[in-house]
Amino acid sequence: MSAPTRGTRYITVIVSLLAGAAVWEVAGHLTTEAFWAPLSATLQSLAEFARGGVLLRQAENSFRLYLSGLALAIVTGAPVGMLLARVRWLRVALENYIMMLYATPMVALIPFILSMMGFGFAPKVLVVFLFAVFPVLYNTVEGARSIRPELIEVAHSFRSNEWRLWCDVLIPYTLPFMMTGVRQAIARGLVGMVAAEFFLSPSGLGQMIMMGSQNFDTAGMLAAILIIVLLGVGLMDLGRFLENRFAAWRGYNR
Amino acid sequence: MTAPVLPETGPAAARPLWRDWIESPLFLKSTAGIVLLLLWEGTVRAFAPSYVARPSGIVRIFTTVIGDPQFLAAAGATLWAVAKGLLVSLVLGTLVGFAMGRINMMERGLRYYVNSLFATPMVAILPLVTLWFGYNADARFAIVVFAAFFSITINACDGARSVPLEYLEVANSFRARPFHTLFDIIFPASLPYLLAGVRLAAGRALVGAVVAEFFVSIPGLGYYILYNSRTFKHNEAFVAVIVLVAAGVSFEVLMNWLTRRYLPWSRRD
Repeated sequence: MSAPTRGTRYITVIVSLLAGAAVWEVAGHLTTEAFWAPLSATLQSLAEFARGGVLLRQAENSFRLYLSGLALAIVTGAPVGMLLARVRWLRVALENYIMMLYATPMVALIPFILSMMGFGFAPKVLVVFLFAVFPVLYNTVEGARSIRPELIEVAHSFRSNEWRLWCDVLIPYTLPFMMTGVRQAIARGLVGMVAAEFFLSPSGLGQMIMMGSQNFDTAGMLAAILIIVLLGVGLMDLGRFLENRFAAWRGYNR
Repeated sequence: MTAPVLPETGPAAARPLWRDWIESPLFLKSTAGIVLLLLWEGTVRAFAPSYVARPSGIVRIFTTVIGDPQFLAAAGATLWAVAKGLLVSLVLGTLVGFAMGRINMMERGLRYYVNSLFATPMVAILPLVTLWFGYNADARFAIVVFAAFFSITINACDGARSVPLEYLEVANSFRARPFHTLFDIIFPASLPYLLAGVRLAAGRALVGAVVAEFFVSIPGLGYYILYNSRTFKHNEAFVAVIVLVAAGVSFEVLMNWLTRRYLPWSRRD
């Protein structure tokens, strides 16, 4: 395999993207309207949404929900995980339960939340929170498990107080693991956001997809899905960037 | 009679024993479990309406629900759909992933599509899938495959690229056929990656199946939960959640065991 030059690499990528667009367009013309809409029609309805302000409003709704849930998850998951890093008996007592909750498909809890809390903003935030909090917690605890006792011993030998110990040993050590959790939380939270918008009170981008499917407006639905796909890609890149940014700290065990 | 010298049985010797017992992981874990269950029970009794699921209520109805043929059929339907979807995605994903990993052209052509579909929340395409397959079990199967396929593909691709170059060179020197290179070198070398992909895929597939059942209303654990929680039978619905968690956790345990038993060199920790 000879190393391709920069030019040919870009050409293949561009060709593949163009081919994808062409397949999308042609598939739309070959099938019925309700089955698949051509790319041109999809972009047209996207432009319409953007012009009418619908897109901006719904995206803002979705974002508010997503960010509230995610922020809440990080703000609770990270400190609790760090606390478990410090207090050994608490970690031993709880780690299996955290692992179990991490493995629980949280979508299964949506019907309970619906019938207990009804419609509104709070239950939806709770859904995003539940989707996102356990990856952060689980990964922080995993990091805590691998913290080397010598590090804490050395800190103690130098008479470092509890505050310095947190700032100089615990937080820097667990941060890279936590960032892996944050990356997972970013992806899972997005699933939670769409699920909440589908199954609790309809709102945001989820509602746009639903409306498209109910009105047999396939182009509109595809436009909304396209936005979510792009959002997912962007957020995943952001998560990966964050993780790599802190991964260098891990050093020896990676 | 020369009795063996027994250790002192004063408070100095008894106390460590007691402390050991308190600090043993088993004691800590089971105490934490009991405390959590009591907290749940107490909170629900004090603040929540009576239909909300609580441990005592779940225990009371657990055996009847587990023995209910309707429930068993639902559990079977969901788990079977997940297993079938995983198997199909494993075969297809491995093929596509290996092709992407070993053929540069394929990789460059498909990478964007695979990565972006991997990042897509599968819930978002539910309406589209029901449009194509109708409101039936096929739609659930399609969602499960969509949920599982891309994580396996990405991992298979990474695995195929991580094969040490020397192995391939040796195979080449001995004039190995492409078929043999694939099955004797690339496949075993990328197994750890594949297993990681399957593990990730299993969780996603389970979520996909449940979500599809919510949306499409076909018999299964997801629909069982939806139906029972709508009729305010939360205890019954929660049994289905327990079965889902048990399925997820036991799959994880199975994968761990498989890794330790057959791939001891690939342990990550």
